[in-house]
Amino acid sequence: MRKNILVRSIAALSGIVMLAGLAACGDNTASTPDGGSSSATKSEPISGDFQGAGASSQQAAVEAWIAGFQGNNPDAKIAYNPSGSGAGVSTFLTGATAWAGSDKALSDDEVSQSKEVCASGAAFDVPVYISPIAVVFNLKGVSDAGKHINLDASTIAKIFDGKITSWNDPAIADQNSDLKLPDTPITVVHRSDKSGTTQNFVSYFKDAAPNDWSYDLSENWPNSVGQGAKGTSGVISTVQQADGTIGYADFSQVGKLGTVAVKVGDSYNEISAEAGSKVIEDSDLDSSAKGDNRVVVKINHETTAKGAYPIVLVSYAIVCPAYKDAKQGEFAKAWLTYITSSDGQKAAQDAAGSAPLPSSLTDKITKSIEAIKTK
Amino acid sequence: MAEATATKKKNLDGAPVIDFDKFRPTRSSENARKRKDYFMTGLIGLAFVIACLPLISVLWTTIVNGLKRLNLNFLSYNMTGVVGGNPTPSGGYGGVLHAIIGTLEITGGAMVISIPIGIMCAVYLVEYAHGGKLAMTISLLVDVMSGIPSIVAGLFAFSMFTIVFGPGTINGFEGSVALSLLMLPTVVKSCEEMLKIVPNDLREASLALGVTKQRTITKIVLRTALPGIVSGCILAIARVIGETAPLLMTAGYISSTNVNLFSGQMTTLPVFVYQEYSKLNANCPVNATSACVPTIPMERAWAAALVLIIIVLVLNLIGRVVAKVFAVKTER
Repeated sequence: MRKNILVRSIAALSGIVMLAGLAACGDNTASTPDGGSSSATKSEPISGDFQGAGASSQQAAVEAWIAGFQGNNPDAKIAYNPSGSGAGVSTFLTGATAWAGSDKALSDDEVSQSKEVCASGAAFDVPVYISPIAVVFNLKGVSDAGKHINLDASTIAKIFDGKITSWNDPAIADQNSDLKLPDTPITVVHRSDKSGTTQNFVSYFKDAAPNDWSYDLSENWPNSVGQGAKGTSGVISTVQQADGTIGYADFSQVGKLGTVAVKVGDSYNEISAEAGSKVIEDSDLDSSAKGDNRVVVKINHETTAKGAYPIVLVSYAIVCPAYKDAKQGEFAKAWLTYITSSDGQKAAQDAAGSAPLPSSLTDKITKSIEAIKTK
Repeated sequence: MAEATATKKKNLDGAPVIDFDKFRPTRSSENARKRKDYFMTGLIGLAFVIACLPLISVLWTTIVNGLKRLNLNFLSYNMTGVVGGNPTPSGGYGGVLHAIIGTLEITGGAMVISIPIGIMCAVYLVEYAHGGKLAMTISLLVDVMSGIPSIVAGLFAFSMFTIVFGPGTINGFEGSVALSLLMLPTVVKSCEEMLKIVPNDLREASLALGVTKQRTITKIVLRTALPGIVSGCILAIARVIGETAPLLMTAGYISSTNVNLFSGQMTTLPVFVYQEYSKLNANCPVNATSACVPTIPMERAWAAALVLIIIVLVLNLIGRVVAKVFAVKTER
């Protein structure tokens, strides 16, 4: 009996060990970019464990970038924790992560704090991910028929401020003479959690319809109109569930919901990745961002560029110009070079429906990236 | 009947006469009792059905939604190289191998920490402390501990590792520590109950034969209580294996497989489900083939949830088998 138990335990143990041995496999062979012609990087492949954290909006893109980056550097293990912009930056400022993803540029305070973490100089941010923010709605007879609705900035602002409460309000009907609008009440759905999407969305109202939007900029939703929902997924599912709802979400999450075509100049432009890219092309850099190498975009919400869609989210990658661990510096440089390259941006566009970085920005970004010291 | 009572009266003179007819149930009250009986039986049955409804509904929804993506490919690959809704070279859409390994290792780590401590604590409470002050304090603390919200356990582990190993330390073992905090009270409580129901006669018989106290506890008391202890531990594991909040901050999230519990981030099944749910939709480029599935994150989340349920089920079965194998043979 005693021996029996011993033998059985040994058998069970060795079974577990064999299972653990199996565990090592399971990687999907990472997709290698075909053809060695594109920007042949002769440098040594990066290897080691690297961590990043930050904006959840970037998650889908970062996953595509990790897959692409590992195609060239199979020994690099990269983890990205989509914990949110604020959490990502504070983790970065403790020195725990190699880079942070954030939906807003660093504040002056954060820049000065970063001097303690970086080996020399202060951290800087470069735009890596541009995503149009869709104004989604669910209205029987309109959105399920695949039709868009035309609205200008001031009408959208009034809707989200609770001033316009019915779908057949004259302000909406005047701009959509070809649509038959029901008198369904409008239910506004907004994010209940802190979100860079919210901040970028309301900053559009602040610039394009200042008379109809009196609230301060914030990552939290400023008024008590409508109902909150957690995360992009929460907003989308709430909008899907009820008739007469309107909300906002990243373009890639829209699915079958109707989207608002926004008035730019004299025409109404529908949302698309290219249209989002155009407004950034028409925007200047924010000169109030103090610090070396920083590339911060001041989105020109009042653009009149042809075919531009003005509501966009610009998300940044935050890195140090020099790291205490040289390996991290090497990684940060290679990582940023890849994700801002045309290959990287293409990967993000396929995976997350983002807008590619306009060429007017890429030169400045490349210059900033070159400032990262690897030795 | 009346005649019978009359003869009784004659035989037992002076004894009180009991009129049994008075106690005979009338037809109407008999029916009322029956009605009440049926009514209450029905009510209790209904309560049982209502209690089962959510359970069956959860199981049914998970199985229906989860079976769609649950296949060998899903179980044998991790999430590296999975981009958008596109299929991987192996024909699948990514999998949970890394999360299964993470869940098993982290829960295993939590078991290694909390089961020995829990059993020894229970032995102390039952065998050594005879209602002393220390025992009262320990019992109270265990009760308090069982009420700790899981996120607090996560924060505790996170701050402890930050202080000891420097900022931003994230590894699987940190998750094990957080989970062991949640497991410990359940293990102590169930082991204590199990040790208490071991008959005192057994201890006395053993001691009377001159066996030392240590041997009595290890060979007689623990041995007799073993099946109960094992099922208590399995319950404790089932309680923590589905925890998301503490693991979200302590164990991290990574798409590749990490088998080292002590270094690097580790994905666990609940965290995987949460992250996939947060993604909601994958993007399919305009020129994508029909193989690109935009709803794949939600489908992966359901399948991973089903895998988690199956793991708990398998652990339960293993627990039962172990308890049976090690059980004391009472019959000769």
